[in-house]
Amino acid sequence: MVALARKTLVYEWRRFLPAILAVGFAGLLQLLQLALVLGIFGSTSLYITGSSADVWIGYPGTQSVGQGRSIDGDVESRILMDPAVQRVEPYIWVDGDWRGTTETGGVSVFVSGIDPRADGLMFSKALPPDLRARLAQPDAVVVDRSDLDQLGVGIGQTATINGHEVRVVGISSGLRALGGVNVLCSLDTARRLDSDAEDIGPTYLVAKLRDPTQADAVAIRLRGDTAFGPYTTWSAHHFARLSVRYWMFDTGAGAGVLFLAGIVFLVGAVITSQTLIAAVNGSVREYATLNALGVGVGALRRVVLEQAFWVGALGLLGASVLGVVLLLLARSQNVPVVLTLPAALGCIVLVMGLAAVSGLAAMRSLRAADPATLLR
Amino acid sequence: MHPANLVTPSTAAAPTIALQAESISKAFVSGKQRTQVLDGLSLHIDSGELTLISGPSGCGKSTLLAVLSGLQKIDGGRVLALGSELGQLDLHALERFRLQHTGFVFQGFNLFPALSAFEQVELPLNHMGLSRQEARERARSSLEEVGLSHRMKLRPSELSGGEKQRVAIARALAKEPELLFADEPTSALDAANGQMIIDILHRIARTHGTTVLCVSHDPRLVVHADRVLAMEDGRILSDQRNHAPISASKGISS
Repeated sequence: MVALARKTLVYEWRRFLPAILAVGFAGLLQLLQLALVLGIFGSTSLYITGSSADVWIGYPGTQSVGQGRSIDGDVESRILMDPAVQRVEPYIWVDGDWRGTTETGGVSVFVSGIDPRADGLMFSKALPPDLRARLAQPDAVVVDRSDLDQLGVGIGQTATINGHEVRVVGISSGLRALGGVNVLCSLDTARRLDSDAEDIGPTYLVAKLRDPTQADAVAIRLRGDTAFGPYTTWSAHHFARLSVRYWMFDTGAGAGVLFLAGIVFLVGAVITSQTLIAAVNGSVREYATLNALGVGVGALRRVVLEQAFWVGALGLLGASVLGVVLLLLARSQNVPVVLTLPAALGCIVLVMGLAAVSGLAAMRSLRAADPATLLR
Repeated sequence: MHPANLVTPSTAAAPTIALQAESISKAFVSGKQRTQVLDGLSLHIDSGELTLISGPSGCGKSTLLAVLSGLQKIDGGRVLALGSELGQLDLHALERFRLQHTGFVFQGFNLFPALSAFEQVELPLNHMGLSRQEARERARSSLEEVGLSHRMKLRPSELSGGEKQRVAIARALAKEPELLFADEPTSALDAANGQMIIDILHRIARTHGTTVLCVSHDPRLVVHADRVLAMEDGRILSDQRNHAPISASKGISS
């Protein structure tokens, strides 16, 4: 079989280049946007995904991790009564006002008071063991490398949070927060930093189960008891999703992603279809001749669709290469980007869908390939 | 040429009718203007002959070709091609008919810029259900027949006008059609190339027994045709047979 579609694409590559670029940039734009949004909003659930707790216990109605209110510390004993629960530890969230040694003004920080023991659940995946151990020192804090400039401190230096002095004992990475700066310290330090007299207990209790796969069932089972004051429970997975979703919709970012996807699709499809239409028009007499010789319209349509497919595939290839380079570059600059498999598949579907729609639009111009018009 | 060939070419002995038109009419409507191009025209074309339709531009000769080849529907009358009534066939069946039985050569060569001469010829054969081997064999032999065996790998941009038209003829010829339609095949070519195309068409009718219907106002073609139909205003004015047809090549015409 003579590969008419491919040979034409190669020989007349200049003609098809705008379409390939349009498809490629559409894909790239969508990919980077998704990676950025996932990266940025993924950080809102860092507290959960970076820890090894299976069930979270917090104030009812909490919409994201950063919005918890304190619960009664006695809830811990209720949770421990459940045979599925192996361990429980408190987690204290304090909103703080940071003043560094240099002129930084007030910086809003999210203080996470955690159990600094080596087998502590909170931030077990995000915080290296040696840094965790250092938190046991009084008034010791760990901050993220990318926040140092903003905080105006270096390692070993002191600053104040809510008027209390703290000392930076370690610098970690991957702790960036959205809308503020994460500061990690021990539970004791956190209690000292908390200036709110109403906070009587921890913000959350986090539990480790004997069988982590039971998280959803246990979370449901532990709910609804009010003997120790108001609290509710979530599985870690559920709470992480709740946090990300809250940010996505509260900030309108989710709508933004969809809106941009629509725009990208539309602009990409317009450019690509126009290019493909021009390519069909450029060969319309040849197509008409093939039809005169008895090659069916269906076969000619397949040629156009195949061209659209290759335009999509080449655009996708270019977008993937450039996308990987840019994502690596972003990572190296501490820009939070995350690319998940469903997101990548979504981009592929968008790009190939765009190419397919353009191909279908271009197929319509084959109507002009009427062999009778060749007889003049 | 041998004198024996001058007398009775075998196909002329008992000609069968390849194409038949019975009082066909065709009009084009443009706005409120209605132009009757063909008006009650009847004719039949014998198989294995090179028939030339000539006439001034606008006389309806190209329309007649389009109608007889099934590229255009008629308003009235009927067209029989190889015994099939074209008016009874739907679009798909017409495509199949053309695929199986017809070849076309147009004034413009209409070759794909990206394909080599060989691929231009092979492409339609791919759709005929031939094996890859046979398609390539046919493509090679028909390019050889038009004298392009040494230019098979070249793209249209590397071929002269005459060569391009020969590729177009090879493309039609490789299908081994019973009917070959040619529309002004020489008008875009210089004298030498035009003559070569005429000779090839001529030979196809002779050696393959193909019915060649050619529309042209090129006077050089007249002496090579078995039969010349002169058209004017949608009607046939004269119908002449060359009694020393086909083999009456350059020696006689000069």
